[in-house]
Amino acid sequence: MENKKEKGGFRLIGGDKLILFTAIIIVFALFTFLNKNFLTWTNMVNLLIAASLVGLVAVGHTYLIIAGQNDLSPGSLAAFCGTLAALLLSWGVPMPIAVLAVLMAGVVAGLFNAWMVNKIKLEAFIATLVTQNVVRGFAYIICDGKPISISNKAYLAIGKLRILTLPLSVWLMLIAFIVFGFILARTKFGRSVYAIGGSKEAARLAGLNPQRIITMSFIIIGVLTAVGGIVFSSRMNSGQPAANVNLEFDAITAVILGGVSFAGGVGDMFGTVLGVILIQAFNTGLIMVNVSTFWQYVARGALLLFALTSDFIRKQRREKELLEAAMKNIK
Amino acid sequence: MGSVLEFKKISKYFPGVKALDEISFKAYGGEVLAFLGENGAGKSTLLKVLNGDYQPTNGEYWLDGELKHFASPHEAIEEGISIIYQERQILLELSVAENIYLGRMPANRFGVIDIRKANRMAAEIIKDFGLPISPSTKVKDLSIAYQQMVEIMKAYSRENLKVICFDEPTASLSDAEIESLFKVIRKLKSQGKIIIYVSHRMAEIQQIADKVAIFKDGRYVDTVVTGEVSEEAMIKMMVGRDLGDIFADLERNDKIGDVLLEVKGVSSDYVKDNSFVLHRGEILGFSGLVGAGRTELMRAIIGADKARSGEVILEGRRIVNRSPKEAMDNGIVLVPEDRKLQGILSNLSVAGNINIALMDKNANGLGVISTRKEAEEADKGIRDFRIKTPSPDKKIVELSGGNQQKCIVARGIATDPKVLILDEPTKGIDVGAKSEFYQMICQFAKQGLGVILISSEMPEVIGLSDRILVMRALRIVGEVAREDATEDRLLSLGMMGDE
Repeated sequence: MENKKEKGGFRLIGGDKLILFTAIIIVFALFTFLNKNFLTWTNMVNLLIAASLVGLVAVGHTYLIIAGQNDLSPGSLAAFCGTLAALLLSWGVPMPIAVLAVLMAGVVAGLFNAWMVNKIKLEAFIATLVTQNVVRGFAYIICDGKPISISNKAYLAIGKLRILTLPLSVWLMLIAFIVFGFILARTKFGRSVYAIGGSKEAARLAGLNPQRIITMSFIIIGVLTAVGGIVFSSRMNSGQPAANVNLEFDAITAVILGGVSFAGGVGDMFGTVLGVILIQAFNTGLIMVNVSTFWQYVARGALLLFALTSDFIRKQRREKELLEAAMKNIK
Repeated sequence: MGSVLEFKKISKYFPGVKALDEISFKAYGGEVLAFLGENGAGKSTLLKVLNGDYQPTNGEYWLDGELKHFASPHEAIEEGISIIYQERQILLELSVAENIYLGRMPANRFGVIDIRKANRMAAEIIKDFGLPISPSTKVKDLSIAYQQMVEIMKAYSRENLKVICFDEPTASLSDAEIESLFKVIRKLKSQGKIIIYVSHRMAEIQQIADKVAIFKDGRYVDTVVTGEVSEEAMIKMMVGRDLGDIFADLERNDKIGDVLLEVKGVSSDYVKDNSFVLHRGEILGFSGLVGAGRTELMRAIIGADKARSGEVILEGRRIVNRSPKEAMDNGIVLVPEDRKLQGILSNLSVAGNINIALMDKNANGLGVISTRKEAEEADKGIRDFRIKTPSPDKKIVELSGGNQQKCIVARGIATDPKVLILDEPTKGIDVGAKSEFYQMICQFAKQGLGVILISSEMPEVIGLSDRILVMRALRIVGEVAREDATEDRLLSLGMMGDE
């Protein structure tokens, strides 16, 4: 039975998702019980809209954390990107060029993070903390601390456009899940991400280029965050320099809940999808049952602690299984 | 007097390794018991189980008829079991007395440390040992040998000391210092302590040990009385079979071709100005002490470390390897020394590990990997190298060390190289798998590959290589032909350079 289930470290769907499904059902049942408006079509669509920004960023975190890295800058970057778009549009820059410029900002942030990790050999956690602060600062600087409203019709349409009843932002998230899920599971690049998550040096000696893979992963999360920032600002009709605080917190929680290990090398995109659903249902539910903002912080912290604890337990179980397998294989 | 330490079916497993396999034997007070065995035979692991550093997977140990279980080295020390390691475990900035009584300094009733009393007590012990040092001297001002003595005194100062283990204690001592260490060991012996002495040096074991416990591949073989059994017989017990026979039976390549690889004056931050040639179908051994620069030279050649100067010429063409990937594309692959950290990709399956260097071949233009092609390559590797795995999709870390190593060799060979560099390929692998590797290496040579073999196991380099280069202090210092190679010759070259 074990042998059938094992499919190496690179599959679209795999691992132990049962607990996650159960948790989602419990959360949905609980909030529906507390507020009967929770499980309605409108609320579910709203939940997906709210999830789209976290979802896009979580896709990037899935790559980074599997590769043994991390990124604490997306919250600041999303706010900066939205503000930058609003600023450019207010100057009369055409919408496609403004969007392109914002995506480039995402690339530059990714390159900067990768440079610190690859060349100055900083821990990703610390390096991206630098970016988090610097980029937040720039978000305030470019708009002089005041939100910039957006009147460009084409740009505002991004947030309003609906295809097959779902808003564009939700489609973007779904496309990101599928495309990047496929890349992670089935391509050379995806395989390399798993490989460097174990040991960078072993991967290098096996002919891979860990620095390039890390750079690519940081660019991916930078661009996805920029896309998120565009969608968010379009929905808000403005660029908000103070927005999206703790975005990375939710995204990282979702990824870890989904079964990606903080130790690197383990996990898949489907887990992240489930993790994003769980965390967004949790966040939306807390608001709908009128839990105060202050207690929401505590609850989210508790959820991350839960995610980390289950990551730890999974890791211990993997090690135990390995040991048992080893005892069986060595005669 | 008359302490008894008994091991009952102690086993310790690590993923991929059975480090200890049902070890049972007894050690008695008033005797020096030496542990003898090859690297990886399980001697150090057993010590770590005994002092609570590792927890045994199965089995138990008894001290004086009492079942013991130590959760940490600290608990073991409290119960009278101390280990003196190669690396000193003392605090250099503290005085001799402070080190001896660390954590249990005598104090007055207000809890203030009574340093004079500590010095007085330490002086007693120093006198017992007959050493010319003062209790108030800082340990950093003492020689290595005296620092070790301080450690021994620290163990000795515990009134309940029953077992004292020495792990390669003489590695960095001079002859005179060894003699004074032995004096101390004899003193401990006369007091009825159980003394365990781990060493590779046969001469020392003959001199100090009363009995020798022999280990092989994680198993306990037997205990013999020193002097009753010849050295040769002991070595045979520890190796298990005569390695000479294994090498004599190998089908060696007798058609060595023209020059394949020429290395000219290669230097990096870690090696200086090395030149050598390798022929087609040749096995070129690299001998030398650990740290002589053998691994570093290979890393400079394949671009894992930055080469500062020099040329690499393959098949008459000058090549530049700026990364292991470029070396691989040029036809040179390395099977690294540290299998766990540099060899295996621990998160990938057996198939994923074999295929990692073949991704370009297995993928289409968009980078999508063909599952079919991967499965074919994996099956081929598993078949050709007789990798024992329940399935290609098993995680590589679940395999035994030897089979993990085969996966890494399979990965390298799959790239169709011209030069294969093997760095300590049989380290930590049991003897059965070793002889399989030896046949494999000869087979590579027969197929016309140039093989570079780095090995610290003398019989292995001598038995396999057509020529042996010896490195010392970051340079190649000598070349020995197959016919002239003896362990003495290689050792003296490796330690002294020119004879």
